[in-house]
Parts: sequence; C-alpha cells; structure tokens
Amino acid sequence: MLKKAFSWVDERFPLSEVIKHELTEYPVPRNLNYMWNFGFLAMFVLIVQLVSGIFLAMHYKADVNMAFDSIQHIMRDVNYGWLIRYLHSTGASAFFVVVFIHIGRTLYYGSYRRPRELLWWTGLLLWFLLMATAFMGYLLPWGQMSYWGAQVITSLFGTTPVFGEEIVRWLRGDFVVGDATLTRFFALHYLFPFIISAAVVIHLVALHWVKSSNPSGITLRAKDNIPFHPYFTIKDMFGVGVFLIVFCGFVFFNPEFWIEADNNIAANPMSTPAHIVPEWYFLPFYAILRSIPDALGGVITMFMAVAIFAILPWLDRSNIPGGALFRPGYRIMVYVFFVDVLVLSYVGAKPPEGSFVIIGQIATLIYFGLFLLLPFVSSHEARRSREKGLPHEAERLIREEQEDLLRREHGVRRKGDEERLGQTDKGFQGEER
Amino acid sequence: MKRVLVVLSVVALLMGVASAMASAVGKLKSLDVDESNEARQRGAETVISACMMCHSLKYVKFMDLADIGMSKEQIEYLLEDQKIEDRMLSLMPMEIREESYGKVPPDLSLITIARKKGPQYVYTLLTDYYYQEDGETNNYLFEGIKMPDVLAYADAESDQERADIEAQMRDVVSFLKWAADPHSDERRSLGVYVIIYLVIFTTLLYLLKRRIWSRLH
Repeated sequence: MLKKAFSWVDERFPLSEVIKHELTEYPVPRNLNYMWNFGFLAMFVLIVQLVSGIFLAMHYKADVNMAFDSIQHIMRDVNYGWLIRYLHSTGASAFFVVVFIHIGRTLYYGSYRRPRELLWWTGLLLWFLLMATAFMGYLLPWGQMSYWGAQVITSLFGTTPVFGEEIVRWLRGDFVVGDATLTRFFALHYLFPFIISAAVVIHLVALHWVKSSNPSGITLRAKDNIPFHPYFTIKDMFGVGVFLIVFCGFVFFNPEFWIEADNNIAANPMSTPAHIVPEWYFLPFYAILRSIPDALGGVITMFMAVAIFAILPWLDRSNIPGGALFRPGYRIMVYVFFVDVLVLSYVGAKPPEGSFVIIGQIATLIYFGLFLLLPFVSSHEARRSREKGLPHEAERLIREEQEDLLRREHGVRRKGDEERLGQTDKGFQGEER
Repeated sequence: MKRVLVVLSVVALLMGVASAMASAVGKLKSLDVDESNEARQRGAETVISACMMCHSLKYVKFMDLADIGMSKEQIEYLLEDQKIEDRMLSLMPMEIREESYGKVPPDLSLITIARKKGPQYVYTLLTDYYYQEDGETNNYLFEGIKMPDVLAYADAESDQERADIEAQMRDVVSFLKWAADPHSDERRSLGVYVIIYLVIFTTLLYLLKRRIWSRLH
C-alpha cells in the first residue's frame, strides 16, 4: 500500500529521488566533529522561533498604549503564555549563540574557502537578516531598552549625507519612534522569518552542491564519505538533545538572564535610561561604532565590520588547504580574532569612559588589522609550509585527493568517449538501414 | 578546536568575575529570597497596608492572592473600598500622589525584575534609610529619594527593632518577587520534569548514535 502510494507520487513528483539525493545518498565527510552540528541547530532554533512567535502574535497587541501590557497579559493570563514568551525571548539569544559558533567554526576550519564562497555569502546574508529581525523584534515589548535602542539605532541612519533625515523619518514612519514604528516593525518582524526560511533553502542548495567541508579542509575520497541519513540525522538529533537541556535550563530556571532589567519598565519617551545598551549580540559592533570619534565614520566602520567577511575568501591567499589545522599562522590569527571579539563585546557593554575608549579603539584596530594582514600572513605562511613540508596527514590527504581527481577525470573522459562512440555507432546503423 | 574552547571559556570566566566584582561595589545587601507562601502572604499584608498607600501593582488582581494560598475571606479582610476582582491599585488619587512626590510613584508589579538584582535592590533600598544632620531622612542607596521611611527603619533604636523591620522587608521582597513572576513555582516544578525527560531522551539518542555509527569501521 505504502509502496503503491510512493510510486503514485513518484510518477508525478521526484519524492524518492529527492530523499535519495539529499538524505540517504547525500555524501558527508565522516570526520566531521561536533562543531558541524550548529548549522542544523540554527535551523532547529529558527523553527522554535517561528512556532513560538506565531502563538505570541495571537495575543500580542502592536499599539504603543497596549504593547507592554499585552506582554504582561501573555505572561500572566494566557495559558502557558509565560512558556511561549520565555521560549521566544531565550530563543532569540540562543539563535545568536548557535549562529556565532557556526560562523566561528567556518572561520577556524576555513570552510569559507573555494569552492564555498557563495555558500559563505548566503550564510552572511542569513546573519544579516537575522540581525535585522532580532532588532525589530526587540522593539515589540515596548520597554525602555526597546524604545531607546530603536531610537539610537534608527538615528544612526541620520548620518547618511544629504538624505539622512528623510531616511530616518522613512524608517520610523514618524519624527520619533512611535506607534507607526511599532506597527511596521511588527509587520516586518513577522515577514522576515519567512524570507529567512527562503534564504535557508538557498543556503542548503548551495551546501548540497559543494558539500560540507571537513576539519582537514581537504576533499575526502569517496570511501571516507558516509550518507547523511542515518549517520548525521542521529548525530544532529543528539546535538538537539544537548542543546535543549541547556536551553530549557535557561527557559525554566533563569529566563530573565537574557532580558535587560530596564526592558521590564514600559517605554517612556520622557526619561532616557542612564546607560543605553543594545542586546548582547550587537555589542561588538556597538563598540566598534563608538570607537570612531566621527559619527558618519563610526556608522561606516560598523557596517564594514560585518561586510568585510564577504571578501574573506579572497583575503586568504594560502594554497594550503583548510583552516587552522595545518596552518599555524592562521590559527593564531583566529584565536586573536575570537578573543578580540570578546573584548569588544565587553567594551560595548560598558559606558564609553576612561580606559574603555582606548581599549575599544585598540580592539577595533586589531579587528580590521587581522583582515588586512591576512593576505600577507597567509601567502607567507603557505610558502614556508611548502618549504618545510606539510604534516604527514595533510600530505596523504592531498595526495589522495589528487589521485581521486585524476581517476574521476579519467572516468569522465572514458564516459564521454563511450557516448560519442555510441552516437556514431547509431549513426552508422541508421545509414545502413 | 578544543584549545580554542578552553581559551574562550577562561576569558569568559575572567570577564564574569570582573563584572561580578564591579557590581559588588554597588553596595547591595545580600538576600536569599524566601519563596514560601507564608512569607509571601506576610509580605502581601505589608504591601497592601503600607506600600499601596502610594504605589500600585496594576498587573496583579486581589483575587490572584489565592495563588499564594490565601482564602477569599483572608483577602477580603485586607481590602478597604476595593472589590476582590479589582486590580491592586492605590486608593490615593493620582494627582495627590504626583503632587506629594513630584511624580507618580512607580508601579511595583515588576519592580524586582525591573532593576538589576531586583530583590537585593528593593531590600537594600528599604533598609538604607538614615537621619541627616538636619533631621530629614535620606537613603544611602538612593540619595535624595522622595519616598519616606515608611516603616521607620531610621527610627529603630535597638538591634531587635531593626531585625524585626528587616524581617518584614524580606517578606515584602518575597511578595514582590512573586508579583513580578507569578508562575515561577509552576515554571520551576515543570522545569524539573522537562530536564529529566530531556536527559533520558538525549542519553537514548546518544546510545542510538553510537550504535548506528558502529556500523562504520
């Protein structure tokens, strides 16, 4: 019966073909470590956010006079409203934790390198969309930080030459953040996750074309690849289990950990909080923004800090495959980068006074300095490694890869020959008849 | 990669310690909130008779006090002109309150989550009153506070008297903490089952993963 149903569908839609191609026969390097779990986890958190968000929208009121109260209505009166809301607020932070580890893994193992540049770009697009969605979602509870955060961030666009004021008014729908801003942010916050979902599909299409990289950064032989299902479905599910233990620990035992205390005070345009801080996932970029004394310069530098990742595949000029594993110079740079981002986050959370200003400026300099040094360090390092000889394991993997490539090329040529032969063969037969 | 994680966690730990030390300078008194319903009920009585002269708790209804184990009669005994289904609003008209203090005193429904380390903040604030040289009361934590020393902490003459007021303030904090997060008991007890379930489920997934991967050699 089931077989019949499948064959009925298969005649009209390539269901079995898709399952085979994308799951049961999709090759994945068997040496992936647990750092490769975070892409799947990001998709899982996206689903958690979508589902909890839709239920929140059923009870939330996007109106400056009702928004804050409607959150308390959800927290107190709606059945399990507290659970839905804490899942969503904790989920927002969890999303960034997972995505940052995912990006960190890409940097450490050099997964952005050829031929995965477009995969890397679609990932950066996703990160950008995620930041926009999170920023708009943060306005919706209409607390003090929601309001003043939105006020500060939208005013950044005012530094645009000539059209600054018009752009800010266009974004806010008003001269200040108000009801018009709240309703449009709500509409867009509901829309963006669906754009994100579409972008995830594109990210996955790109992934399934170039396949996963792996810790060595070298394309493995066919026998070292294993099908996604069942090996990685179960590994990813186990990862989801571990993630959920940590996630639910926060949701059930310390949900306010991720919520700024000031945001439990309703927005008040008449009183500015002593110290406006964005959500933790924006802190490094906030620190970079504030480290430049000029307003427009700060905004441009902040956007550069995100955009510069796009040219990373071309800044890395090494011909040693992979990321940090076989490249000691690059490894040091990645460590320094990770620590630098943590320092920037710390500075971003502090008021811009005294030594924090200098520390922030130095950390910003290091941030961009690492990108600018990468072409020189990577090519120099490649030359030295070639002279000294690569580690044994790397040499073996590269040799195998080249053998494999040769064999495949040979195979393709044979196949091409056969096809050509077959055609001429037929041609002859046709003439004879 | 493991080394990276070690380095990162050490850095994160150092930052945590640094920020913890920085906030300790904020001179908040330490307080372990008593989350029993008895403490909450005692706190509710003080809040209704003293705090609600000027403050409201607009997100809580009087009948919600049933959730901390008070009977209908006990609740009604505390009310003046209000009905049991009313929100916990101060009976003092808004204009008078605004006139007396320069602004309407803040709503207390969320006060323990609307300040960093809210419970400790509220407790410290309430027990930080002292007499200035000119005979006016002031507050160490909140210099120039408009709120009077309602329970006369600065007037206390003996340690015993101070200890009694402190105990009363602790109960107030217990109640306010519940008011800010009325589902906390339910959340934590449900959370225990959720975590137990997840640990078992994840262990099974791990065993299954090992079993499936053992087919490879």
